Amino acid sequence: MIVDLIVTLVKILFILAVTVGFFAPILTWVERKQSAIMQDRVGANRADILGFTVLGLFHAIADALKMFTKEDFIPDGANRALHTLAPIVAVVPAILTFAVVPFGGNYSLFGKEVNLVIADLDVGLLFIFAIASIATYGYVIAGWSSNNNWSLIGAMRTAAQMISYEVTMGLTIIGVLMVYSTMKLTVIGAIQEDFLRWGIFLQPLGFLMFFTASIAENKRIPFDNPEAESEIVAGYFTEYSGLKFGMFFMAEFIEIVTIGSIMTLLFFGAWHIPFVSTASLLSIFDFLGTTGSNIVVMLIHVGVFFTKVIIFIWIQMTIRWTLPRFRYDQIMKLGWKILLPLSLVNILVTGIVILALQ
Amino acid sequence: MAYYVNRNVKLTLWEKLYLPEIFRGMIITSRHFFVNLLGFIPFFLGKKKHREIFTVYYPEEMVDYPIAYRGRPVLPMKEDGSPYCVACGLCEIACPAYCIDIIPGENSGKQNEVERWPLEFTIDYAVCIFCGNCEEACPEEAIYMSNDCEISMLDRNKMKYNKEQLLTPVAELQDRIDFTRTMYAKWNY
Repeated sequence: MIVDLIVTLVKILFILAVTVGFFAPILTWVERKQSAIMQDRVGANRADILGFTVLGLFHAIADALKMFTKEDFIPDGANRALHTLAPIVAVVPAILTFAVVPFGGNYSLFGKEVNLVIADLDVGLLFIFAIASIATYGYVIAGWSSNNNWSLIGAMRTAAQMISYEVTMGLTIIGVLMVYSTMKLTVIGAIQEDFLRWGIFLQPLGFLMFFTASIAENKRIPFDNPEAESEIVAGYFTEYSGLKFGMFFMAEFIEIVTIGSIMTLLFFGAWHIPFVSTASLLSIFDFLGTTGSNIVVMLIHVGVFFTKVIIFIWIQMTIRWTLPRFRYDQIMKLGWKILLPLSLVNILVTGIVILALQ
Repeated sequence: MAYYVNRNVKLTLWEKLYLPEIFRGMIITSRHFFVNLLGFIPFFLGKKKHREIFTVYYPEEMVDYPIAYRGRPVLPMKEDGSPYCVACGLCEIACPAYCIDIIPGENSGKQNEVERWPLEFTIDYAVCIFCGNCEEACPEEAIYMSNDCEISMLDRNKMKYNKEQLLTPVAELQDRIDFTRTMYAKWNY
Protein backbone atom coordinates (compact mmCIF):
# COMPACT_ATOMS: atom_id res chain seq x y z
CA MET A 1 0.00 0.00 0.00
CA ILE A 2 2.71 2.44 1.08
CA VAL A 3 4.85 1.28 -1.85
CA ASP A 4 1.98 1.93 -4.26
CA LEU A 5 1.57 5.40 -2.83
CA ILE A 6 5.27 6.16 -3.20
CA VAL A 7 5.33 4.85 -6.77
CA THR A 8 2.32 6.99 -7.70
CA LEU A 9 3.86 10.04 -6.05
CA VAL A 10 7.09 9.51 -7.97
CA LYS A 11 5.14 9.26 -11.23
CA ILE A 12 3.17 12.42 -10.43
CA LEU A 13 6.36 14.28 -9.57
CA PHE A 14 8.00 13.05 -12.76
CA ILE A 15 5.10 14.25 -14.93
CA LEU A 16 4.97 17.61 -13.15
CA ALA A 17 8.72 18.02 -13.50
CA VAL A 18 8.61 17.17 -17.19
CA THR A 19 5.62 19.30 -18.16
CA VAL A 20 5.56 22.27 -15.80
CA GLY A 21 9.20 22.19 -14.84
CA PHE A 22 10.87 21.37 -18.14
CA PHE A 23 8.65 21.72 -21.20
CA ALA A 24 6.68 24.85 -20.27
CA PRO A 25 9.70 27.09 -19.66
CA ILE A 26 11.88 25.54 -22.33
CA LEU A 27 9.18 25.89 -24.99
CA THR A 28 9.14 29.68 -24.59
CA TRP A 29 12.80 29.56 -25.55
CA VAL A 30 12.23 26.98 -28.29
CA GLU A 31 9.50 29.06 -29.87
CA ARG A 32 11.65 32.18 -30.07
CA LYS A 33 14.79 30.43 -31.15
CA GLN A 34 13.17 28.13 -33.70
CA SER A 35 11.19 30.94 -35.29
CA ALA A 36 14.37 33.01 -35.44
CA ILE A 37 16.41 30.29 -37.08
CA MET A 38 13.62 29.54 -39.54
CA GLN A 39 13.47 33.21 -40.51
CA ASP A 40 17.28 33.61 -40.83
CA ARG A 41 17.53 35.58 -37.60
CA VAL A 42 19.57 34.93 -34.47
CA GLY A 43 16.88 35.01 -31.81
CA ALA A 44 16.91 35.48 -28.06
CA ASN A 45 20.48 35.69 -26.75
CA ARG A 46 20.69 38.68 -24.42
CA ALA A 47 19.89 37.25 -20.97
CA ASP A 48 23.12 36.18 -19.34
CA ILE A 49 24.47 35.05 -15.99
CA LEU A 50 28.06 36.22 -15.41
CA GLY A 51 28.50 36.76 -19.12
CA PHE A 52 27.35 33.29 -20.18
CA THR A 53 24.30 33.32 -22.41
CA VAL A 54 24.12 29.58 -23.28
CA LEU A 55 22.27 30.30 -26.55
CA GLY A 56 19.75 32.42 -24.68
CA LEU A 57 18.51 29.62 -22.45
CA PHE A 58 18.42 31.97 -19.47
CA HIS A 59 15.53 33.80 -21.13
CA ALA A 60 13.27 31.12 -19.68
CA ILE A 61 14.44 32.06 -16.17
CA ALA A 62 14.23 35.75 -16.96
CA ASP A 63 10.66 35.30 -18.22
CA ALA A 64 9.66 33.43 -15.09
CA LEU A 65 11.21 36.11 -12.85
CA LYS A 66 9.45 38.83 -14.81
CA MET A 67 6.10 37.06 -14.52
CA PHE A 68 6.55 36.60 -10.77
CA THR A 69 7.51 40.18 -10.03
CA LYS A 70 5.06 42.03 -12.27
CA GLU A 71 2.05 43.81 -10.83
CA ASP A 72 -1.02 41.63 -10.76
CA PHE A 73 -3.49 44.03 -12.28
CA ILE A 74 -7.25 43.66 -12.11
CA PRO A 75 -9.16 46.33 -14.06
CA ASP A 76 -12.02 48.39 -12.61
CA GLY A 77 -15.36 46.82 -13.34
CA ALA A 78 -13.91 43.36 -13.69
CA ASN A 79 -15.42 40.55 -11.72
CA ARG A 80 -12.58 40.00 -9.28
CA ALA A 81 -13.41 36.45 -8.28
CA LEU A 82 -13.92 35.15 -11.80
CA HIS A 83 -10.98 37.14 -13.11
CA THR A 84 -8.78 35.32 -10.62
CA LEU A 85 -10.42 31.95 -11.20
CA ALA A 86 -10.15 31.94 -15.00
CA PRO A 87 -6.41 31.25 -15.43
CA ILE A 88 -6.64 28.42 -12.90
CA VAL A 89 -9.52 26.85 -14.81
CA ALA A 90 -7.45 27.19 -17.97
CA VAL A 91 -4.20 25.71 -16.69
CA VAL A 92 -5.41 22.89 -14.45
CA PRO A 93 -7.07 20.78 -17.19
CA ALA A 94 -3.94 21.09 -19.30
CA ILE A 95 -1.84 19.53 -16.54
CA LEU A 96 -4.59 17.14 -15.44
CA THR A 97 -4.70 15.47 -18.86
CA PHE A 98 -1.37 13.87 -18.13
CA ALA A 99 -2.93 11.79 -15.35
CA VAL A 100 -4.11 9.23 -17.90
CA VAL A 101 -1.32 9.52 -20.48
CA PRO A 102 0.96 6.49 -20.26
CA PHE A 103 4.58 7.34 -20.96
CA GLY A 104 5.86 3.77 -20.77
CA GLY A 105 4.68 0.19 -20.55
CA ASN A 106 4.56 -2.36 -17.78
CA TYR A 107 7.79 -3.25 -15.96
CA SER A 108 8.57 -5.55 -13.09
CA LEU A 109 10.90 -3.68 -10.77
CA PHE A 110 12.07 -5.39 -7.56
CA GLY A 111 9.37 -8.03 -7.88
CA LYS A 112 6.64 -5.47 -8.37
CA GLU A 113 4.65 -4.57 -11.47
CA VAL A 114 5.02 -0.86 -12.24
CA ASN A 115 2.73 0.67 -14.82
CA LEU A 116 4.01 3.99 -16.12
CA VAL A 117 0.70 5.81 -15.96
CA ILE A 118 -0.67 7.69 -12.98
CA ALA A 119 -4.32 6.62 -13.35
CA ASP A 120 -4.96 3.68 -15.68
CA LEU A 121 -8.60 4.48 -16.38
CA ASP A 122 -10.74 2.22 -18.54
CA VAL A 123 -12.11 5.33 -20.25
CA GLY A 124 -8.81 7.17 -20.53
CA LEU A 125 -9.53 8.55 -23.97
CA LEU A 126 -12.91 9.94 -22.89
CA PHE A 127 -11.30 11.39 -19.79
CA ILE A 128 -8.88 13.39 -21.94
CA PHE A 129 -11.73 14.88 -23.95
CA ALA A 130 -13.85 15.56 -20.90
CA ILE A 131 -10.98 17.39 -19.20
CA ALA A 132 -9.86 19.23 -22.32
CA SER A 133 -13.32 20.70 -22.83
CA ILE A 134 -13.29 22.16 -19.32
CA ALA A 135 -10.46 24.46 -20.41
CA THR A 136 -12.96 26.24 -22.68
CA TYR A 137 -14.71 27.53 -19.56
CA GLY A 138 -11.47 29.06 -18.39
CA TYR A 139 -11.11 31.07 -21.58
CA VAL A 140 -14.77 32.12 -21.70
CA ILE A 141 -14.72 33.15 -18.03
CA ALA A 142 -11.51 35.10 -18.64
CA GLY A 143 -13.04 36.98 -21.55
CA TRP A 144 -16.31 37.69 -19.79
CA SER A 145 -14.93 38.74 -16.41
CA SER A 146 -12.39 41.18 -17.85
CA ASN A 147 -15.09 43.74 -18.76
CA ASN A 148 -13.31 44.46 -22.03
CA ASN A 149 -14.69 44.37 -25.55
CA TRP A 150 -11.68 42.66 -27.07
CA SER A 151 -11.64 40.05 -24.35
CA LEU A 152 -15.31 39.30 -24.89
CA ILE A 153 -14.87 38.97 -28.66
CA GLY A 154 -11.91 36.70 -28.06
CA ALA A 155 -13.89 34.60 -25.62
CA MET A 156 -16.80 34.22 -28.04
CA ARG A 157 -14.43 33.20 -30.79
CA THR A 158 -12.76 30.71 -28.46
CA ALA A 159 -16.08 29.17 -27.53
CA ALA A 160 -17.24 28.92 -31.14
CA GLN A 161 -13.95 27.54 -32.40
CA MET A 162 -13.39 25.02 -29.62
CA ILE A 163 -16.92 23.66 -29.79
CA SER A 164 -16.72 23.29 -33.58
CA TYR A 165 -13.45 21.47 -33.53
CA GLU A 166 -14.30 19.30 -30.55
CA VAL A 167 -16.97 17.69 -32.71
CA THR A 168 -14.41 16.75 -35.35
CA MET A 169 -11.96 15.61 -32.72
CA GLY A 170 -14.50 13.37 -31.05
CA LEU A 171 -15.67 11.84 -34.30
CA THR A 172 -12.08 11.24 -35.40
CA ILE A 173 -11.39 9.41 -32.18
CA ILE A 174 -14.29 7.06 -32.88
CA GLY A 175 -12.29 5.74 -35.83
CA VAL A 176 -9.35 5.04 -33.50
CA LEU A 177 -11.69 3.37 -31.03
CA MET A 178 -13.10 1.12 -33.73
CA VAL A 179 -9.64 0.07 -34.83
CA TYR A 180 -8.26 -0.70 -31.37
CA SER A 181 -11.63 -1.60 -29.82
CA THR A 182 -10.60 -0.17 -26.47
CA MET A 183 -10.56 3.16 -24.67
CA LYS A 184 -7.81 2.19 -22.28
CA LEU A 185 -4.76 4.21 -23.29
CA THR A 186 -2.28 1.69 -21.89
CA VAL A 187 -3.83 -1.04 -24.03
CA ILE A 188 -3.82 1.20 -27.12
CA GLY A 189 -0.13 1.80 -26.46
CA ALA A 190 0.61 -1.88 -25.94
CA ILE A 191 -1.17 -2.92 -29.16
CA GLN A 192 1.15 -0.69 -31.18
CA GLU A 193 4.17 -2.84 -30.37
CA ASP A 194 3.55 -4.27 -33.86
CA PHE A 195 4.87 -1.65 -36.26
CA LEU A 196 2.15 -2.31 -38.84
CA ARG A 197 -0.54 -1.64 -36.27
CA TRP A 198 0.56 1.92 -35.58
CA GLY A 199 -2.35 4.34 -35.74
CA ILE A 200 -0.87 6.25 -38.65
CA PHE A 201 -1.23 3.17 -40.90
CA LEU A 202 -4.67 2.24 -39.64
CA GLN A 203 -6.10 5.76 -39.53
CA PRO A 204 -4.08 8.07 -41.84
CA LEU A 205 -7.00 10.42 -42.52
CA GLY A 206 -7.94 10.30 -38.88
CA PHE A 207 -4.42 11.37 -37.95
CA LEU A 208 -4.49 14.43 -40.21
CA MET A 209 -7.91 15.52 -38.99
CA PHE A 210 -7.02 14.89 -35.36
CA PHE A 211 -3.84 16.93 -35.73
CA THR A 212 -5.71 19.82 -37.39
CA ALA A 213 -8.47 19.75 -34.80
CA SER A 214 -6.07 19.61 -31.88
CA ILE A 215 -4.08 22.58 -33.14
CA ALA A 216 -7.38 24.42 -33.46
CA GLU A 217 -8.23 23.35 -29.91
CA ASN A 218 -4.96 24.80 -28.73
CA LYS A 219 -5.75 28.10 -30.50
CA ARG A 220 -2.37 28.39 -32.16
CA ILE A 221 -1.64 29.74 -35.63
CA PRO A 222 -3.21 29.06 -38.15
CA PHE A 223 -6.22 28.86 -35.83
CA ASP A 224 -5.34 31.67 -33.43
CA ASN A 225 -8.42 33.84 -34.04
CA PRO A 226 -9.31 33.90 -30.31
CA GLU A 227 -6.10 35.78 -29.55
CA ALA A 228 -5.42 37.38 -32.92
CA GLU A 229 -3.00 40.17 -32.07
CA SER A 230 -3.64 42.24 -35.15
CA GLU A 231 -7.42 42.16 -34.76
CA ILE A 232 -8.41 42.03 -31.08
CA VAL A 233 -5.26 42.97 -29.12
CA ALA A 234 -4.74 39.67 -27.29
CA GLY A 235 -8.22 38.21 -27.16
CA TYR A 236 -9.42 36.74 -23.90
CA PHE A 237 -6.25 37.55 -21.90
CA THR A 238 -5.99 41.21 -22.86
CA GLU A 239 -6.59 42.33 -19.27
CA TYR A 240 -4.22 39.86 -17.65
CA SER A 241 -0.75 40.54 -16.37
CA GLY A 242 1.88 38.95 -14.23
CA LEU A 243 1.60 35.33 -13.28
CA LYS A 244 -2.04 35.05 -14.38
CA PHE A 245 -0.98 35.92 -17.91
CA GLY A 246 1.86 33.47 -17.44
CA MET A 247 -0.62 30.76 -16.50
CA PHE A 248 -2.50 31.22 -19.77
CA PHE A 249 0.77 30.92 -21.61
CA MET A 250 1.77 27.91 -19.56
CA ALA A 251 -1.56 26.29 -20.41
CA GLU A 252 -0.86 26.82 -24.10
CA PHE A 253 2.62 25.35 -23.90
CA ILE A 254 1.55 22.39 -21.80
CA GLU A 255 -1.23 21.73 -24.29
CA ILE A 256 1.40 21.54 -27.02
CA VAL A 257 3.04 18.76 -25.04
CA THR A 258 -0.33 17.12 -24.41
CA ILE A 259 -1.16 17.15 -28.11
CA GLY A 260 2.25 15.72 -28.86
CA SER A 261 1.80 12.90 -26.34
CA ILE A 262 -1.73 12.01 -27.43
CA MET A 263 -0.60 12.02 -31.05
CA THR A 264 2.31 9.77 -30.19
CA LEU A 265 0.10 7.53 -28.12
CA LEU A 266 -2.72 7.09 -30.60
CA PHE A 267 -0.95 7.23 -33.95
CA PHE A 268 2.81 6.82 -33.61
CA GLY A 269 3.36 3.69 -31.59
CA ALA A 270 3.51 5.24 -28.14
CA TRP A 271 6.75 4.14 -26.43
CA HIS A 272 7.70 1.44 -28.95
CA ILE A 273 10.64 1.50 -31.33
CA PRO A 274 9.64 0.25 -34.82
CA PHE A 275 10.33 -3.49 -35.35
CA VAL A 276 11.76 -3.85 -31.83
CA SER A 277 9.48 -5.61 -29.39
CA THR A 278 9.72 -5.21 -25.64
CA ALA A 279 10.63 -8.89 -25.22
CA SER A 280 13.60 -8.62 -27.60
CA LEU A 281 14.78 -5.46 -25.84
CA LEU A 282 14.56 -7.29 -22.51
CA SER A 283 16.57 -10.22 -23.87
CA ILE A 284 19.34 -7.86 -25.06
CA PHE A 285 19.82 -6.54 -21.52
CA ASP A 286 19.29 -9.94 -19.92
CA PHE A 287 22.77 -9.93 -18.35
CA LEU A 288 21.68 -7.18 -15.95
CA GLY A 289 19.15 -9.42 -14.20
CA THR A 290 15.38 -8.99 -14.20
CA THR A 291 15.24 -5.67 -12.38
CA GLY A 292 18.27 -4.23 -14.12
CA SER A 293 17.08 -5.08 -17.62
CA ASN A 294 13.61 -3.80 -16.78
CA ILE A 295 15.04 -0.48 -15.58
CA VAL A 296 17.12 -0.07 -18.74
CA VAL A 297 14.16 -0.93 -20.98
CA MET A 298 11.94 1.44 -19.01
CA LEU A 299 14.41 4.27 -19.47
CA ILE A 300 14.69 3.50 -23.19
CA HIS A 301 10.89 3.46 -23.56
CA VAL A 302 10.41 6.73 -21.69
CA GLY A 303 13.19 8.25 -23.77
CA VAL A 304 11.60 7.05 -27.02
CA PHE A 305 8.20 8.35 -25.96
CA PHE A 306 9.49 11.81 -25.17
CA THR A 307 11.64 11.89 -28.31
CA LYS A 308 8.50 11.33 -30.34
CA VAL A 309 6.72 14.01 -28.33
CA ILE A 310 9.56 16.43 -29.03
CA ILE A 311 9.34 15.67 -32.76
CA PHE A 312 5.63 16.48 -32.65
CA ILE A 313 6.35 19.68 -30.75
CA TRP A 314 8.82 20.60 -33.48
CA ILE A 315 6.20 19.94 -36.17
CA GLN A 316 3.66 22.08 -34.33
CA MET A 317 6.18 24.91 -34.01
CA THR A 318 7.02 24.64 -37.71
CA ILE A 319 3.34 24.85 -38.62
CA ARG A 320 2.90 27.82 -36.30
CA TRP A 321 5.72 29.76 -37.96
CA THR A 322 4.89 28.72 -41.53
CA LEU A 323 1.19 29.33 -42.03
CA PRO A 324 -0.77 32.58 -41.91
CA ARG A 325 -3.90 32.96 -39.83
CA PHE A 326 -7.23 31.74 -41.20
CA ARG A 327 -10.10 34.19 -41.42
CA TYR A 328 -12.93 33.53 -38.98
CA ASP A 329 -15.37 32.33 -41.65
CA GLN A 330 -12.67 30.10 -43.13
CA ILE A 331 -12.15 28.44 -39.76
CA MET A 332 -15.87 27.76 -39.40
CA LYS A 333 -16.08 26.53 -43.00
CA LEU A 334 -13.12 24.21 -42.50
CA GLY A 335 -14.54 22.89 -39.27
CA TRP A 336 -18.16 22.30 -40.23
CA LYS A 337 -18.12 21.82 -44.00
CA ILE A 338 -14.89 19.92 -44.57
CA LEU A 339 -13.58 18.24 -41.42
CA LEU A 340 -16.95 17.14 -40.01
CA PRO A 341 -18.16 15.33 -43.20
CA LEU A 342 -14.68 13.90 -43.68
CA SER A 343 -14.61 12.49 -40.16
CA LEU A 344 -18.03 10.91 -40.73
CA VAL A 345 -16.74 9.39 -43.99
CA ASN A 346 -13.70 8.19 -42.06
CA ILE A 347 -15.93 6.37 -39.59
CA LEU A 348 -17.96 4.82 -42.42
CA VAL A 349 -14.90 3.61 -44.32
CA THR A 350 -13.29 2.26 -41.14
CA GLY A 351 -16.47 0.40 -40.33
CA ILE A 352 -16.73 -1.10 -43.82
CA VAL A 353 -13.09 -2.21 -43.79
CA ILE A 354 -13.39 -3.78 -40.34
CA LEU A 355 -16.56 -5.59 -41.45
CA ALA A 356 -14.87 -6.81 -44.62
CA LEU A 357 -11.86 -8.13 -42.72
CA GLN A 358 -13.95 -10.12 -40.27
CA MET B 1 -5.18 53.68 -62.03
CA ALA B 2 -6.96 52.33 -59.06
CA TYR B 3 -5.44 49.34 -57.33
CA TYR B 4 -7.68 46.38 -57.87
CA VAL B 5 -7.66 43.27 -55.70
CA ASN B 6 -9.14 40.19 -57.24
CA ARG B 7 -10.93 38.53 -54.35
CA ASN B 8 -12.43 35.74 -56.42
CA VAL B 9 -9.25 33.87 -57.25
CA LYS B 10 -10.11 30.47 -58.62
CA LEU B 11 -8.01 27.87 -56.86
CA THR B 12 -7.03 24.71 -58.62
CA LEU B 13 -8.01 21.40 -57.08
CA TRP B 14 -4.42 20.91 -55.95
CA GLU B 15 -4.54 24.18 -54.02
CA LYS B 16 -8.02 23.48 -52.67
CA LEU B 17 -6.72 20.33 -51.02
CA TYR B 18 -4.68 22.65 -48.70
CA LEU B 19 -2.41 19.88 -47.50
CA PRO B 20 0.07 19.65 -50.42
CA GLU B 21 0.62 23.41 -50.35
CA ILE B 22 0.97 23.38 -46.58
CA PHE B 23 3.60 20.65 -46.87
CA ARG B 24 5.38 22.67 -49.54
CA GLY B 25 5.48 25.69 -47.25
CA MET B 26 6.67 23.59 -44.34
CA ILE B 27 9.44 22.08 -46.45
CA ILE B 28 10.67 25.58 -47.32
CA THR B 29 10.69 26.75 -43.70
CA SER B 30 12.23 23.50 -42.46
CA ARG B 31 14.95 23.78 -45.09
CA HIS B 32 15.82 27.24 -43.77
CA PHE B 33 15.72 25.85 -40.23
CA PHE B 34 18.13 22.99 -40.88
CA VAL B 35 20.49 24.96 -43.13
CA ASN B 36 20.79 27.67 -40.50
CA LEU B 37 21.04 25.16 -37.66
CA LEU B 38 23.89 23.31 -39.36
CA GLY B 39 25.47 26.65 -40.23
CA PHE B 40 25.65 27.45 -36.53
CA ILE B 41 27.76 24.47 -35.57
CA PRO B 42 31.03 25.30 -37.39
CA PHE B 43 30.67 28.87 -36.15
CA PHE B 44 30.49 27.84 -32.52
CA LEU B 45 33.34 25.38 -32.96
CA GLY B 46 35.38 28.27 -34.27
CA LYS B 47 35.88 26.63 -37.68
CA LYS B 48 34.06 29.36 -39.52
CA LYS B 49 34.18 33.07 -39.03
CA HIS B 50 30.66 33.83 -40.18
CA ARG B 51 27.30 32.28 -39.46
CA GLU B 52 24.78 31.46 -42.16
CA ILE B 53 22.60 34.10 -40.53
CA PHE B 54 23.30 37.68 -41.44
CA THR B 55 22.13 39.27 -38.20
CA VAL B 56 24.98 41.03 -36.41
CA TYR B 57 25.24 41.03 -32.60
CA TYR B 58 25.72 44.77 -32.72
CA PRO B 59 27.70 45.90 -29.68
CA GLU B 60 29.92 42.82 -29.81
CA GLU B 61 30.23 42.56 -33.57
CA MET B 62 30.60 45.37 -36.05
CA VAL B 63 30.06 45.50 -39.76
CA ASP B 64 32.83 47.06 -41.82
CA TYR B 65 31.64 50.40 -43.08
CA PRO B 66 32.26 51.25 -46.73
CA ILE B 67 35.14 53.62 -47.31
CA ALA B 68 32.80 56.36 -48.55
CA TYR B 69 31.01 56.33 -45.17
CA ARG B 70 31.07 59.68 -43.40
CA GLY B 71 31.43 59.26 -39.65
CA ARG B 72 32.66 61.93 -37.26
CA PRO B 73 35.28 64.33 -38.67
CA VAL B 74 38.72 63.99 -37.06
CA LEU B 75 42.14 65.61 -37.40
CA PRO B 76 44.98 63.47 -38.72
CA MET B 77 48.07 63.63 -36.53
CA LYS B 78 51.68 63.87 -37.61
CA GLU B 79 54.37 61.60 -36.21
CA ASP B 80 55.33 64.23 -33.63
CA GLY B 81 51.75 64.58 -32.40
CA SER B 82 50.91 67.90 -34.05
CA PRO B 83 48.00 68.43 -36.46
CA TYR B 84 48.35 69.09 -40.17
CA CYS B 85 45.93 71.97 -39.69
CA VAL B 86 47.19 75.50 -40.42
CA ALA B 87 44.15 77.21 -38.90
CA CYS B 88 43.13 78.85 -42.18
CA GLY B 89 39.47 78.72 -41.21
CA LEU B 90 38.18 77.36 -44.54
CA CYS B 91 36.41 74.45 -42.86
CA GLU B 92 34.88 76.87 -40.39
CA ILE B 93 33.40 78.79 -43.31
CA ALA B 94 32.44 75.69 -45.29
CA CYS B 95 30.60 74.17 -42.38
CA PRO B 96 26.84 74.65 -42.95
CA ALA B 97 26.06 73.94 -39.30
CA TYR B 98 28.81 76.16 -37.81
CA CYS B 99 30.01 73.37 -35.58
CA ILE B 100 33.76 73.98 -36.02
CA ASP B 101 35.49 76.53 -33.82
CA ILE B 102 39.20 77.34 -34.34
CA ILE B 103 41.47 79.60 -32.33
CA PRO B 104 44.61 80.06 -34.43
CA GLY B 105 48.12 80.35 -33.07
CA GLU B 106 50.90 82.14 -35.02
CA ASN B 107 54.66 81.81 -35.22
CA SER B 108 56.39 84.98 -34.15
CA GLY B 109 59.10 84.87 -36.84
CA LYS B 110 61.10 81.81 -35.78
CA GLN B 111 62.90 80.01 -38.61
CA ASN B 112 62.24 76.36 -39.62
CA GLU B 113 59.02 76.06 -37.66
CA VAL B 114 55.36 75.89 -38.65
CA GLU B 115 53.88 79.27 -39.32
CA ARG B 116 50.31 78.73 -38.13
CA TRP B 117 48.61 76.08 -36.11
CA PRO B 118 45.36 75.81 -34.19
CA LEU B 119 45.62 76.61 -30.51
CA GLU B 120 42.11 75.30 -30.04
CA PHE B 121 40.15 73.21 -32.52
CA THR B 122 36.64 72.34 -31.33
CA ILE B 123 33.98 70.34 -33.16
CA ASP B 124 30.55 70.14 -31.60
CA TYR B 125 29.17 66.76 -32.68
CA ALA B 126 25.76 67.70 -31.32
CA VAL B 127 25.60 70.27 -34.12
CA CYS B 128 27.62 68.52 -36.84
CA ILE B 129 25.54 67.16 -39.72
CA PHE B 130 28.29 64.89 -41.13
CA CYS B 131 28.10 66.47 -44.57
CA GLY B 132 31.83 66.22 -45.29
CA ASN B 133 32.13 69.81 -46.54
CA CYS B 134 35.02 70.48 -44.16
CA GLU B 135 36.93 67.61 -45.70
CA GLU B 136 36.34 68.99 -49.19
CA ALA B 137 37.23 72.53 -48.19
CA CYS B 138 40.49 71.71 -46.45
CA PRO B 139 43.53 72.59 -48.60
CA GLU B 140 45.99 70.84 -46.29
CA GLU B 141 44.36 67.39 -46.02
CA ALA B 142 44.04 68.13 -42.33
CA ILE B 143 40.47 67.04 -41.55
CA TYR B 144 38.89 63.75 -42.52
CA MET B 145 35.68 61.89 -41.95
CA SER B 146 36.41 58.76 -39.93
CA ASN B 147 34.12 55.72 -39.88
CA ASP B 148 33.29 56.17 -36.19
CA CYS B 149 29.61 56.97 -35.68
CA GLU B 150 29.14 55.93 -32.05
CA ILE B 151 29.20 59.33 -30.41
CA SER B 152 26.33 59.30 -27.96
CA MET B 153 26.77 61.10 -24.65
CA LEU B 154 24.69 61.73 -21.57
CA ASP B 155 25.90 65.34 -21.41
CA ARG B 156 25.55 67.84 -24.24
CA ASN B 157 28.78 69.60 -23.29
CA LYS B 158 30.77 66.41 -23.69
CA MET B 159 29.81 66.35 -27.35
CA LYS B 160 32.27 69.18 -27.87
CA TYR B 161 35.57 67.52 -28.76
CA ASN B 162 38.75 69.53 -28.31
CA LYS B 163 41.99 69.22 -30.26
CA GLU B 164 43.48 66.44 -28.16
CA GLN B 165 40.36 64.31 -28.53
CA LEU B 166 40.16 64.93 -32.26
CA LEU B 167 43.73 64.05 -33.15
CA THR B 168 43.98 60.61 -34.77
CA PRO B 169 47.12 58.87 -36.07
CA VAL B 170 47.30 59.37 -39.81
CA ALA B 171 47.80 55.65 -40.39
CA GLU B 172 44.23 54.95 -39.23
CA LEU B 173 42.85 57.32 -41.83
CA GLN B 174 45.09 56.25 -44.72
CA ASP B 175 42.29 54.46 -46.61
CA ARG B 176 40.01 57.45 -46.43
CA ILE B 177 42.84 59.79 -47.49
CA ASP B 178 43.58 57.66 -50.56
CA PHE B 179 39.89 57.49 -51.35
CA THR B 180 39.33 61.22 -51.15
CA ARG B 181 42.41 61.91 -53.28
CA THR B 182 41.09 59.73 -56.12
CA MET B 183 37.50 60.95 -55.79
CA TYR B 184 38.30 64.66 -55.65
CA ALA B 185 40.76 64.26 -58.51
CA LYS B 186 38.09 62.57 -60.59
CA TRP B 187 35.47 65.22 -59.96
CA ASN B 188 38.04 67.94 -60.62
CA TYR B 189 37.66 69.84 -57.39
